[in-house]
Amino acid sequence: MYSEKVMDHFTNPRNVGVMDDADGIGEEGNPVCGDAMKIFIKVKDDVITDIKFQTFGCASAIAVSSMVTEVAKGMTIDEAMKVTKQSLADALDGLPPQKMHCSNLGADALHKAIKDYRNKQGK
Amino acid sequence: MKKIYMDHMAVNPLHPEVLDAMLPYLKENYGNPMSLYEYGIKAREAVENARALTADLINAQAKEIIFTASGAESNNFALKGIAFALQNKGKHIIVSKVEHHSILNSARFLEKQGFAVTYLPVDNDGLVNPEAVKKAITDETILISIIHASPEIGTIQPIAEIGRIAKEHKIMFHTDGVASVGNIPVDVQSLNVDLMTFTAHQFYGPKGAAALYVKQGTRIVPLIYGGIQEGGRRAGTENVPAIVGMGKAAEITRKDLQKRIDHITPLRDEIISSALKLDKVILTGHAEKRLPGHASFVVEYIEGEAMLMMLAIKGIFSASGSACSSKALKSSPVLISIGIPVHLAQGSVVFSIGEGTTQEDINFFKETFPAVISRLREISPYSEGWENTEDSTCTVKK
Amino acid sequence: MLLAEAHKLDNTQPKFLNEPIETDATTDIIYMMCPMHLLTLEEEVAEIETGQTLSILTDYDGALEDIPEWCAKTGNEFLGVYEEDDHYNFYIKKIKES
Repeated sequence: MYSEKVMDHFTNPRNVGVMDDADGIGEEGNPVCGDAMKIFIKVKDDVITDIKFQTFGCASAIAVSSMVTEVAKGMTIDEAMKVTKQSLADALDGLPPQKMHCSNLGADALHKAIKDYRNKQGK
Repeated sequence: MKKIYMDHMAVNPLHPEVLDAMLPYLKENYGNPMSLYEYGIKAREAVENARALTADLINAQAKEIIFTASGAESNNFALKGIAFALQNKGKHIIVSKVEHHSILNSARFLEKQGFAVTYLPVDNDGLVNPEAVKKAITDETILISIIHASPEIGTIQPIAEIGRIAKEHKIMFHTDGVASVGNIPVDVQSLNVDLMTFTAHQFYGPKGAAALYVKQGTRIVPLIYGGIQEGGRRAGTENVPAIVGMGKAAEITRKDLQKRIDHITPLRDEIISSALKLDKVILTGHAEKRLPGHASFVVEYIEGEAMLMMLAIKGIFSASGSACSSKALKSSPVLISIGIPVHLAQGSVVFSIGEGTTQEDINFFKETFPAVISRLREISPYSEGWENTEDSTCTVKK
Repeated sequence: MLLAEAHKLDNTQPKFLNEPIETDATTDIIYMMCPMHLLTLEEEVAEIETGQTLSILTDYDGALEDIPEWCAKTGNEFLGVYEEDDHYNFYIKKIKES
């Protein structure tokens, strides 16, 4: 059902945790839907220097969360705004079709974190 | 790696003696039971022998057993067959909200055909109140169908009592015994049932072999017309190997049932007591009136599919009623019916053990389950508690 | 019941009774299709003693021809048929072991 990459990111998720001094926080989904995600970013000179996540959800939701942190780390915030659901799914060698939307919250949460950062910067 | 099967509610492994009994009917005894020569006669005898053994398991007569291909078929047959047979008497049916989909969807189908259906609620333990059944009965009621035991929460319903009420009111009573027959003693006489669904793979028989018990003298409209198989009530060439397997499995189960119950009950109790020691783990279903090998929980702050995937990586195979673990991505209606909020229902997990489960397996489970929960809670944003989630509405999936 | 009406006009029609008969044994095969009426008839007649009577309840129209014919062929007595709202009651007396 899941690709090896999904299983790898599910069993060894990268960048799990909270960040007390985050520059931006993004939340997407809620547990009533089955999946919810929180993402924390640290930004320096418009580059995402550190990123952490927490996720409530199925194996693919956790894998997508892990993947988005791995992809976004080191990107400029403009580049990170271009990360899409599809690109994350592709990076994981695909997701089962019924999981494509509900558990694929990574891009939306990342974009929300960046908007939060921009709001805080007054930009 | 260890592989510990804790999903007996999905299917049981095939008993080796059952396989041995089936093999000749997949090989040299391949005859059609309808054929009049030697091969056919052997096959016919095997089917009728299996029918007698299957009947013995539930204290019925052989002629009261109709073989089908699945529990779902038997449930469809019972509901539609009785509804159509009795529609001139009335058009009202009573079921519970914790039935299997094969009952609920058959009921919905019958609603479209002009029948009225009452869906009875259950209490927080998942029990149907017999008084509520009595109150739901009208002059139009022709059939009551209540599940005997829930595969999702393990709760065993007061079937004998509901059966007595049905009998008093001269209403047909069906029970879905898929999760009960083979797991607890079941006697159709003392349960006061007119029809009962059960399936071989719940008692170490093959898949594709199930039955509907139909009390002698009960009128039922067949789902499948054709030849004279199963007394004309279920046409189609008999699945001889599967039926032989069901008969053999019934014979062994009748002999071994108490031994199996004595083996799995303390192991099941150990699963429950160890799990309930963990923070924010809740037992679902009735604490005592439950299937002997059945332990079901909701684990707060984490999601069931992730839980069962991670347990599977560690070698423990289990089930979940969470939305994400179902292909339809909908939470189990059974969990919602017993009052579990949607966000908690996401953390559902079911362990069902069997005669092959060992103390060593349970020891491994007791180490692994808490570790899996901790790991997923480390990842979860809710480990400190649910933040205003009760009122949240789901926007993501729309 | 067009077929039943047709049979009433026919000289070889089965004997329609004005009221039901009490019998020693009854078998209900309503909703069962052909040839269950004949198979059941054969089985049930074998079950009863010579001289005893049997009712077969069926909604299968073909039985109007088949059951009297079967009785004639096997040497058992066809006592008649009584028509209920939604089915027939056929009455047979066992004359001899077949």
